[in-house]
Amino acid sequence: MRGRMVHAGRVAAACLLLHSYGAQADTSAPVTLPPYTQAYEPQGVDERGMWMQADEAERQLRDSNFVIRDEALQGYIRGIFCRTVGDARCRNVRIYLLRIPGFNATMYPNGMMTIWSGLLLRVKSEAELGAVLGHEFGHFELRHSLQGFKQIRSSTDALAWLSILAPVTTTALQVGIIGNFFAFNREQERQADMQGLSYLASSPYPSAVAADIWDRQMAEEDATAAGRKRKVKTHSYTAGFAASHPTDLARATYLRAAAAKIGDGGDAGAASYRAGLTKWLPAFLDDQIRLNDFGGSEYLLGQLASGGWRPELLYARAELYRQRGNPRDLVSAGQFYQEAIDKGYAGPEAYKGLGLCLMRSQQAEPGKAALRKYLELRPSGPDAPMIAALVGK
Amino acid sequence: MKLVRKAAFASLAAAALILAGGAHAQEKTGNKPGFTLAPGSAKIVLMRPSIQVGEQSTGGLAEPNADWTAQAREYLSKAIAGTQGQLGNSVADYAEPVGDQAALTAEYQALFAAVANSVIEFQFFPGNRLPTKKRANSFEWTLGKDIGQLPGLAGADYALFITTNDQYGSTGRKMLQIFAAMGGVGVTSGVHVGFAGLVDLRTGDLVWLNADLQMGGDVRTEDGAQRRVAQLFEGFPGRPAAVTSIAATAAR
Repeated sequence: MRGRMVHAGRVAAACLLLHSYGAQADTSAPVTLPPYTQAYEPQGVDERGMWMQADEAERQLRDSNFVIRDEALQGYIRGIFCRTVGDARCRNVRIYLLRIPGFNATMYPNGMMTIWSGLLLRVKSEAELGAVLGHEFGHFELRHSLQGFKQIRSSTDALAWLSILAPVTTTALQVGIIGNFFAFNREQERQADMQGLSYLASSPYPSAVAADIWDRQMAEEDATAAGRKRKVKTHSYTAGFAASHPTDLARATYLRAAAAKIGDGGDAGAASYRAGLTKWLPAFLDDQIRLNDFGGSEYLLGQLASGGWRPELLYARAELYRQRGNPRDLVSAGQFYQEAIDKGYAGPEAYKGLGLCLMRSQQAEPGKAALRKYLELRPSGPDAPMIAALVGK
Repeated sequence: MKLVRKAAFASLAAAALILAGGAHAQEKTGNKPGFTLAPGSAKIVLMRPSIQVGEQSTGGLAEPNADWTAQAREYLSKAIAGTQGQLGNSVADYAEPVGDQAALTAEYQALFAAVANSVIEFQFFPGNRLPTKKRANSFEWTLGKDIGQLPGLAGADYALFITTNDQYGSTGRKMLQIFAAMGGVGVTSGVHVGFAGLVDLRTGDLVWLNADLQMGGDVRTEDGAQRRVAQLFEGFPGRPAAVTSIAATAAR
């Protein structure tokens, strides 16, 4: 564990950050309680209306089939979130883990948080997940939805009057208003990034990891583009006119610079995160493979295997190659299935994949042997009759 | 990481363009052929209604209002029970289940919304009508007979679904409308959309659907909510003639 002095230093650094960005955040709003206060009631017509809408959305989401119903995983993720932002902030937040293979998390104005399985698959440690969840909570604490709503209302009001009163002459002005809307959004994202970093700084987790997420995000985008034979774009620092977020490069850069100033250490919790996700990893990998994103999935698997190719990673890689299905891919896939089996992959489906690959690679007899093994291990699977027909029983 | 901000871009685009409004020529009511509801007999369960009331900003953005919505929820619920009571039917609010059963209920709520939207889009709107829906007596839609197995629906005959969305034009929106009219541009003020549907719990069939894109009745007041409910129940199977005529005069 770390000493008190170090901890105090980090808190001071966090306060500085909070102060400097908090001052910009909201100077016009009246002083009110933070929205995470126990039994907080929204104030004013706009905030009350937004909370009402979010409450209705939450009623629906709570009962949705997309929510992962696993109390152990739920408790583990909540623990990471609470260690990041502190108990006072976390205890009223409702977290819903959603089975969606995208890299995202959302925070609603009423304190509902959604975390997508694609995010859980991509972060490498408790600290990285904490960085993202802290960013989302920052939106909530700074009431960004409310400010954003007011800002878009004034923008659209102005545009409506302009289009009636001076429909032809004001194009530049209209473009300015629209551009300002997006710039406002980007500024909110930057504020939430810094707010999230300040939570990380006063948590047991090291704040340096926040930038790593964005580095890997850029690399994955490149891999996806290359895999789809699209042009790999240059990552620029400056965001485009209609970008809702700062660029990944900008975020990685300013987060790294700010974290270097904070200079805190600590265990990122990579090993415990791997252990915490063990049960769900195969399911999340399966979702990722189905995205038909060969380049991105291959990159992601490589990242996950940085500590060694575990059997479930090998199986997922085999599935990825078998899905693309060029003759050479089937050779690779067959090897990966075999390696997964050799390393102790438990599911009989590895034998099915191996058999199917061998059958299509001019190795009918070894292929049939693998399929027989599959039927022996799972005699009454839904695909058993089809497989039995293949081996000629 | 994205902040949830529904339809923000869409409203920007809409405000930049200002749509000229106008009522679409559209049918509003459909009944399953041959179906009648004998008055004084039915046990109807009201699924949790989707009710949203707010203001429409100058630029056309919906501004949700929690107080108005709460009022509307109370008044509409009272008016629905009153209207059906006159027909001798009993209306009970749906007791929402928990756990796995809640997920199943949520699926049926979503399924009803999908079916109702399909009816509105592919049957009520003539220009978009599917070939199979052009024949006479072709109002044939169902949620599947398993809906009767939902927890809390045992002993009930019908499930009633209600959705309303109201945005009252703000002062700014009305001013914009006036100025736009001077320049010969049509700007609509306010959104008042509602639909109601009745599902037979024995067969799962949608026996009646009423959808109106321009409803009357101010749901923020008790009287207005009664007018709104009368409109929502237009074409309701088994409705006595007397009540229909009252509804017709009350409408708009």
